[in-house]
Amino acid sequence: MDWTPLILSAKLAIWTMLLIPILASPMASLLAFGRFKGKSLLDAVVTLPMVMPPTVLGFALLVVMGPRGYLGGLWEDVTGDRLVFSFTGILLASLIFNLPFAVQPLRASLEKLDPRLLESAAVLGLSPLSTFFRIVLPNCLGGLAAASILVFAHSLGEFGVILMVGGSIPGQTQVASVAIFEAVEALRFDDAFRMSAALIPVCFAVLLIINKINARRA
Amino acid sequence: MKRICSLMLAFCLLIPTGAFAADLFIAQAANFTPVMKEIIPAFEKATGLKAQATYASTGKLYGQIINDAPFDILMAADERRPNKLFADGLAEKPFVYAKGQVVLWSNDKNFCGDDWKATVVNDAVKRVSVANTETAPYGTSSMKAMQAAGLWDKVQPKLVYGQSISQAFQFASTGSADVGFCAYSSVFTEVGKKGCFTVVDEAPPVIQAACVLKSAPHADAAAKFVKFLSSPEVQAMKLKYGYK
Repeated sequence: MDWTPLILSAKLAIWTMLLIPILASPMASLLAFGRFKGKSLLDAVVTLPMVMPPTVLGFALLVVMGPRGYLGGLWEDVTGDRLVFSFTGILLASLIFNLPFAVQPLRASLEKLDPRLLESAAVLGLSPLSTFFRIVLPNCLGGLAAASILVFAHSLGEFGVILMVGGSIPGQTQVASVAIFEAVEALRFDDAFRMSAALIPVCFAVLLIINKINARRA
Repeated sequence: MKRICSLMLAFCLLIPTGAFAADLFIAQAANFTPVMKEIIPAFEKATGLKAQATYASTGKLYGQIINDAPFDILMAADERRPNKLFADGLAEKPFVYAKGQVVLWSNDKNFCGDDWKATVVNDAVKRVSVANTETAPYGTSSMKAMQAAGLWDKVQPKLVYGQSISQAFQFASTGSADVGFCAYSSVFTEVGKKGCFTVVDEAPPVIQAACVLKSAPHADAAAKFVKFLSSPEVQAMKLKYGYK
């Protein structure tokens, strides 16, 4: 059996999980602590990918990331490569549709943070940077862990969006979910079964590992 | 506000969505949708029977049929699935109802020379979309054309795969792929008219077969429909949408 789609899925899920805090953390703090007009509007925009049907989101991304879209055009001018139908392309798509899954748990854990803790830190003369690393981060590990697990699981299983912007290229964008779908369509039920069966322990093992790390840290 | 919302919700729950009563249920491969939407009213007018079609990929319809979906006729996008149903004793003998042609379509007028072979190897063409070469009949036909022209190895790194012929067309029409192996019928759509195409002569015609199912709940209506398919009226509709 060809393992490439499974490896590709794992690669995509891990990259998404590693990169998403960069996007999600500022957004979550803005939504948790920010007081500004249009906050509910921003909230709705961030949550939109969670509500939209994946094929709709995928089609929108295909247009924006295509060579004639803003993002795709800019990308092609700068790098000379095409953004859609590449691993970078599906990774970017994956980051976008996973954003609400990371922002919501992070935001919840930030909102639960006791403001007295932050005030005490300020009174005791802790700089904002060390406040973040010594107060905010340790208190939000639960939220971060929840976000990572959700994002990992979600990007491993994502199908509709990747089908749209990926183009199912073996070794580049043909992830496990797409490969399994194609195997079923081609009536290759054996392959579909083997890949699906292989996916279950992989997911299970990763979740166990993440849980263990969190238990140790907490 | 709350009251209005709950009233609306209650109203949604009450809207009847039960299946319409029809005299004939057709399982239609999605590529033939525009033609079928013209055939059905004509058939209903001619016979007074009510027909209803379900549009999905041949593979999905096949999967539903072997799991006892109550269809009368399968109008497939290939010959393989009807033949298999016939061999398994689930359907009557298949017949050909349409033939499709592969074309190389592009949004960019620069990519439509006389020769598709020169276009696909052109360095300015970075991505070429094609339907899944294993499951989609148009994909298989496109692959055979590239193999016959000795270009398969050269073009393969540029290929992006759509799950169906309509997705291959979608990739080309959004410009995400520079050119695409598409169905001749897609040239007749609104978007298709805005681009340009070259006929791929090397691609074998895509033969679409249909079969009446042995379990058909409306065998008489199905027989009438099969007869209607070979009428000159239907022939004209097929030609209009790029089928033979």
